[in-house]
Amino acid sequence: MGSKANRPELIVDGKRLDGRALDELRPLKIEASVLKNADGSAYLEWGNNKVLAAVYGPVETQPKHMADPSKAIIKCRYAMAPFSSLEEHGRTGPNRRATEISKVTKEAFENVVLLNEFPGSMINIFIEILQSDGGTRVAGITAAAVALASAGIHMKDLIYAVAIGKVGDALILDQNMIEDNYSDADMPIAIAPRNNDVLFLQMDGDFSKEELKRSIDMAIESGKVISKVQKDALRHVYQKAAERYESE
Amino acid sequence: MRCGTSTRRPQKGTRVNNMDAIDIVKSNYIKELLSKGIREDMRKVSDFRKIKITPNVIQNAEGSAQVDLGATRVLAGVKIDLGEPMEDTPKEGTVAMSAELLPLASADYEAGPPSPEAIELARVVDRGIRAGACIDTADLFLEEGKVWNVYVDIYVLNYYGNLFDASELAAMAALMNTKVPAYADGKAVRTDRSKPLKLNNIVTSATFAKVDGHMLLDPDGNEEAACSTRLTVATDGKKLRALQKGLGGSFNVKEVEEMVDMAMSKHEELKKHLESAR
Amino acid sequence: MKNIVLPGDNLPEINGRSPYAYTEEGKNYAMVLGVYDAERQSIVPLEGVWNPRLEETVVGIVTSVKNSVYEVDLRFYGRALIIGGKFERFSFKIGDVVEATIKNIEDRKTIILSFPRLLSGGTLITVKPAKIPRVIGKDNTMIKQIAESANSRIVVGKNGLIWIKDGNVALATEAILRIQEEAHVSGLTERIKKMMENNAR
Repeated sequence: MGSKANRPELIVDGKRLDGRALDELRPLKIEASVLKNADGSAYLEWGNNKVLAAVYGPVETQPKHMADPSKAIIKCRYAMAPFSSLEEHGRTGPNRRATEISKVTKEAFENVVLLNEFPGSMINIFIEILQSDGGTRVAGITAAAVALASAGIHMKDLIYAVAIGKVGDALILDQNMIEDNYSDADMPIAIAPRNNDVLFLQMDGDFSKEELKRSIDMAIESGKVISKVQKDALRHVYQKAAERYESE
Repeated sequence: MRCGTSTRRPQKGTRVNNMDAIDIVKSNYIKELLSKGIREDMRKVSDFRKIKITPNVIQNAEGSAQVDLGATRVLAGVKIDLGEPMEDTPKEGTVAMSAELLPLASADYEAGPPSPEAIELARVVDRGIRAGACIDTADLFLEEGKVWNVYVDIYVLNYYGNLFDASELAAMAALMNTKVPAYADGKAVRTDRSKPLKLNNIVTSATFAKVDGHMLLDPDGNEEAACSTRLTVATDGKKLRALQKGLGGSFNVKEVEEMVDMAMSKHEELKKHLESAR
Repeated sequence: MKNIVLPGDNLPEINGRSPYAYTEEGKNYAMVLGVYDAERQSIVPLEGVWNPRLEETVVGIVTSVKNSVYEVDLRFYGRALIIGGKFERFSFKIGDVVEATIKNIEDRKTIILSFPRLLSGGTLITVKPAKIPRVIGKDNTMIKQIAESANSRIVVGKNGLIWIKDGNVALATEAILRIQEEAHVSGLTERIKKMMENNAR
């Protein structure tokens, strides 16, 4: 988080630097089944974030000793491309941040994927951040959920994720990079829309109990939009083929 | 490992892994077709697959391009940072090239440090561009001890054969669309990126796979699985700029000469693709 | 009316035995991306891994041989074995393509195969297992039509591997891959018929 002393005015007359209202999402676009080799995949653009997610599996567990005979295991890799940032060339290879995000992302999906359906197998989730503009971990989870569904993986729900931030006394939805750098708090959250169960939750900064509650409400409200984009992306793949037929 | 880098000949009594098993069946079929003079997708031996170059896909980068070569998809990103020159070239900027075979590109690729295949890929692409003196490194000099460092990262997004030519095209296309940040008060000003990277040459490559004595330009995934050996020829149309023979088999001298001729004759066609994506 | 459903979608009615739906607090939900068939109150998955069943025909490749036990790659996360014995002797080699029937499934992931038959020559194509029923068609009509028009020999494994030999392999492959793309669209049979007729000429 940047120092508050040189913080730009992030909110002027109730509008944010990019003209959004406090509770407004950045433009979100998802395309499902974009990669030929993967069993499932999704490409997501969320503001200036560009994310590619792919799923391979269920496949034979490698290495074999990691297999759980009673259920599937999930492996997840979240990684940022070295050219993804507007700043300097990034270091390649996993760092501590990416390793932690990979872990909590995997754990979010362990609660919705019906692991008992594929005993002994392994499901691989790969999330590549091609361009970053704040909120890449929630963009990654939102894309990976679509990739899992497009791979035909059995799940209880199609989950989404979003981040809520705080600037002064105001809560803001879906911070971009500048807001992320200077905000007083940041709370990424993943939710199952069917019952609003929380599957992933992080926070750092300064939040009251009341602000936490309001933030979760804000996330759930925005989830209606995010879920719709996810579902439309999946339906579109199958509608496209139907339209092609009708035009013949 | 599917990078056209190994040949698999199962020995009696040993176990082959599952992906290899299907490759063996498919390579036998490729050979059977070739014995009748046919390529699996009906291409001539001297044809590239369909090429599509999409420039400027990553706006945060100083340059970028995505290349689709048939079902193979490669993304190249260029970042330019302020840095120091190499000791032996104090008046020139530097260029570093690397490649990642992303695990999402193929069931055979694993997450982890760069494999020998990824390193070979980056080095072959680098050699063509470096030997062809494509990037004007003198133009990257700023002041005593300060130069631009150019980083080219090749990201393989979907594998289906011939990563070499797809990556050479992606790297070249990304460089041709690269803008250098302004330099002010000893700092890079990335909000002002208007100056194109100065290039002095355009290099393209043509890769051939040898399957049962047939030299196939732009081998697809099944053809790479079937091939005994491979040659990549990088050229600027006038001179050869890099060669790389890969895998265990061999070529005779006449074959090498034929492939070199073919590669040089393909340069203009590839260059047109690059220039139309500028 | 057939609707595309997604994991977590609420369903009005569901057949209690549907393996692609679940019930929670009296409500029914979809588990996979699929097509909801209101008449049959069930979900037909559009994607996903193969779910092996007894008596199914599969196509695979022999990947290891040890004391007359043959391990067969079916592109499945579990294992598949052909077990030879005193009265059943086989002589497959590594790399052989075989067709076989599922005799037994242990712990949902070890498949025992019977009646193996060598498929020599030809090639294999991989198709998403969820699309295989459409490739076969009602009473084998679709695959018969493709095989006849292309003049090819075709064996379809429920596991998603299809063996093709002789005739116009490229045309047969194209037809099968097209079914994979458009499996959920109605009028598929007519379309493939037309395609095969046009190309046969």
